[in-house]
Amino acid sequence: MMKLLTSLFVGLTLLAAPVHAQSGPLRLEIDEGIIEPLPFAVPNFVPDGPAAAQYAQDISRVIVSDLTGTGLFREISADAFISRVSSFDAPVQFPDWKAINAQALVTGAVNVSGKRLTVRFRVWDVFSGQELGNGLQFAGTTDGWRRMAHKVADQVYSRITGEGAYFDSRVAFVSESGPKDQRRKRLAIMDYDGANVQYLTDSAAIVLAPRFSPSGDRLLYTSYETGQPRIYLLDVGRVQRQELPTEAGTMSFSPRFSPDGRSIVYSLSQGGNTDLWKMDLATRQSVRLTNTPAIETAPSYSPDGSQIVFESDRSGSPQLYIMPATGGEATRISFGQGRYGTPVWSPRGDLIAFTKQNKGRFHIGVMRTNGDEERLLTASFLDEGPTWSPNGRVIMFTRETQGASGRSALYSVDISGRNLRPVRTPDGGSDPSWGPLQN
Amino acid sequence: MNLLSKIAAAGALTLIAACSNNDPSALGGAGGAGANGTLVPGSPSDPRSPAYFQQTVGDRVLFAVNQSTLSPQAQTVLQGQADWLLANPDFVATIEGHADEQGTREYNLALGARRANAAREYLISRGVAGNRLTTVSYGKERPIEICSTEECYSKNRRAVTVLTGSTLG
Amino acid sequence: MDTGTKISAIAHVSLIGWALFGGTFRSEPLPMAVQDISVVSAEQFAAMTAQRNAPEVPADPADLQPPAEPDEVETPAPTAEQPPESEPVAQPEPEPEPEIEPEAVEIAPEPELIEQPPTLEEPEVAALPVPPGPEAEPSPADKIAPEQIAPPPPEAKPDDIETPPVSLEDGAETQQEQQDQTAPEEAAPEIVTEAEEVDDPAPRTSPRPRVRPNRPAPPPEPEVAETPEPAPSEPAQSEQAINDALAEALGNGTEPSGPPLTSGEKDAMRVAVSRCWNVGSLSTDALQTVVVVGFSLTPDGKVVGGSLRMLDSSGGTSASAKQAYEAARRAVLRCGAKGYDLPADKYSQWQDIEITFNPERMRIK
Repeated sequence: MMKLLTSLFVGLTLLAAPVHAQSGPLRLEIDEGIIEPLPFAVPNFVPDGPAAAQYAQDISRVIVSDLTGTGLFREISADAFISRVSSFDAPVQFPDWKAINAQALVTGAVNVSGKRLTVRFRVWDVFSGQELGNGLQFAGTTDGWRRMAHKVADQVYSRITGEGAYFDSRVAFVSESGPKDQRRKRLAIMDYDGANVQYLTDSAAIVLAPRFSPSGDRLLYTSYETGQPRIYLLDVGRVQRQELPTEAGTMSFSPRFSPDGRSIVYSLSQGGNTDLWKMDLATRQSVRLTNTPAIETAPSYSPDGSQIVFESDRSGSPQLYIMPATGGEATRISFGQGRYGTPVWSPRGDLIAFTKQNKGRFHIGVMRTNGDEERLLTASFLDEGPTWSPNGRVIMFTRETQGASGRSALYSVDISGRNLRPVRTPDGGSDPSWGPLQN
Repeated sequence: MNLLSKIAAAGALTLIAACSNNDPSALGGAGGAGANGTLVPGSPSDPRSPAYFQQTVGDRVLFAVNQSTLSPQAQTVLQGQADWLLANPDFVATIEGHADEQGTREYNLALGARRANAAREYLISRGVAGNRLTTVSYGKERPIEICSTEECYSKNRRAVTVLTGSTLG
Repeated sequence: MDTGTKISAIAHVSLIGWALFGGTFRSEPLPMAVQDISVVSAEQFAAMTAQRNAPEVPADPADLQPPAEPDEVETPAPTAEQPPESEPVAQPEPEPEPEIEPEAVEIAPEPELIEQPPTLEEPEVAALPVPPGPEAEPSPADKIAPEQIAPPPPEAKPDDIETPPVSLEDGAETQQEQQDQTAPEEAAPEIVTEAEEVDDPAPRTSPRPRVRPNRPAPPPEPEVAETPEPAPSEPAQSEQAINDALAEALGNGTEPSGPPLTSGEKDAMRVAVSRCWNVGSLSTDALQTVVVVGFSLTPDGKVVGGSLRMLDSSGGTSASAKQAYEAARRAVLRCGAKGYDLPADKYSQWQDIEITFNPERMRIK
């Protein structure tokens, strides 16, 4: 329709100016392209001295690993390089990079003096010979070299794709070891790529489902420390935790922060019935948000804090619902076959990720906030518990394998459904919670 | 710490049960019920022992997929539990609700709570005082069978009545 | 904040300027911003956590390794390492945005850098040892264009050889591994995910017909089977037809520039560019953005330096237009590196070209 109108418009234009009709530019429309990883090259960053050599190499590798890990980029290996980059300030020999089809090029330099590490870099669009964005320098301490590499990679990624950054972020998760019937669980935190794992609890009590605060400084999680599942609030910097008070004789679990970080929404089971409650973290006072005989759990706020999406079996099987953040009438949004659970609102606000169970398989999927355009991204024996990358482009989740020797592991997948890949952790892993981009 | 001690207690119970299981004839040969002469206190042959409750009365009931309603068999087991608890008023119990692995972690926690509560309500309806019965749900965190087939799942969908203390009085 | 605004302003101005002038006027030194990162090192962190976590160690020897290091570090760490955290340098502001750093701006612009950008000079560079060899050139064949399903040259192409089949090392589900390489799959108008392709009988999506009526038909996409055919371009063709007809009607005797391009010739050009139009690395916003790009060609079909510019954009955000334009620019430049194959006798018909890049059909839904 639009095309026809365009044609008519062109036609009219031609009629109006017949003489120039043929001398205007040739106009074409392209609506089909290709989808493939963008080939890029990261020649080793130039070290300013022996002390910087290893850092330069390591930083370059982490940048490459971040970029290729997105599935959106493909590294051109150094073996293919025609040019060597021996000086950060020397002009880039674009033809050499064009020749090997490097469409993006990242050049950089690393400087180390004492414990201080400085990284400079530039991003180039090889075929136009243009710099993408401006050169940038990061400075910090040498033990923060990985973070600096992630920062650089974030810049490169954002400048080329237009997508928000996410490499310089951390993930809280439950580290799991041992067989299914004697599984030991410890709360842990790591870089998004599985590096720098640190444990926050021991395995004396079952711990479940850590959830990052919006600013990344605190974690909510559920622990059986007292014998009953209870919600704890943990200061990540100090590794200090406190139990959040809920009524005696109840179980509380499945907590999540509000976007302002001042309150939490959670599930409370009382007399076998599970409803949603909200607690003000300053006063520790709770109010009830739902009051039905059905199970209501797995709540997650919209990014603007005005709504909550959750799971309820009020229809007879678990489905997804949205209600005002203050409680009130809920609208069902999932209508497909199967059982839906653990909805999580994307940081961009446009999608809801969820777990779906159907015909003996589990899926991670996304749908619009009105339930439209449901897309399943994965399928396996058991996938569950999606969490969004800070930019809303990637989803991390738990995949458990079948049988007596089954293990759980973390996986990530692009919201296009491509680039499914395992996230390496020292032991098994479950219940990931992706924290915000770090400052 | 509380949990640790509970685990220790539970472990002890299990051990006792396991040991006595190995030579049931030696201990129970004379007939568990009321054979006072051979009765070893605390063994399954002692009708006042937790081990007896666990093995003879039956400490658990099973549920259908995604359900928390009690089957007739489950009601029979619970009736036995109620009788035992009424006869042994010194004991209190925690009813643990469990689910199989087919389901999300959160939902299964809530489902386990439902199952534990269903068992508790039944015991109360048979005269056991509510303040002797607490519940907890482990969702799918504590399977006893670990295969991924219905054979195992059916055993994992359970509510287990665990005696947590005797001589309170 | 102030500096941030300035930097932002500078960035915007330069972006606009660059968009306007196509990068021809690159007189300013390349700016460089600096940012300090306050990083809590692993050791510091370990030291902090060690204080709380020690007890468990005996419980499971398997987990011993991590705690081990904290032990040594524990003492030195608090004193030696913690300071850096509170070090003035280390923490600019609570929520510093990346580019925001005062000194930043000036630091970088080193004099030499000024000359760096002008590297565009084709001549000089061309003289260098290895000019873009034909084989090394991004030949259209190694692309996964939608029209290109038949030719499976990927493996044959130099740059694709090292293409790591984005395999998921171990736990991978097979079909997922192909996606990096297989042209056909990539070229499918719908992205096929693990969830959909697995042979399991599980429904791929909820039966909500209205949502995606065309969903169940990813494989049966036979139209895509052949080489660049004018097939996908019915609209273009009809447009073409109308234009041609109009042109005819108006009497093409008027044009001193030779006959107009046939629709086949236009299509060939369109396909030539679309083969290099890679939207695979675009953000979801950029995939909502339609950009119109204009450029001029030399008589031998090469893009005139500096002529490439964005004429218009719609949809998406202003930020996303940048990446959308850059992808379009890469397409035009890359596939035109050896010169587009256009009829020389009709040069005046294609000397100036405007291409609308519409990613509507390529986007992630």
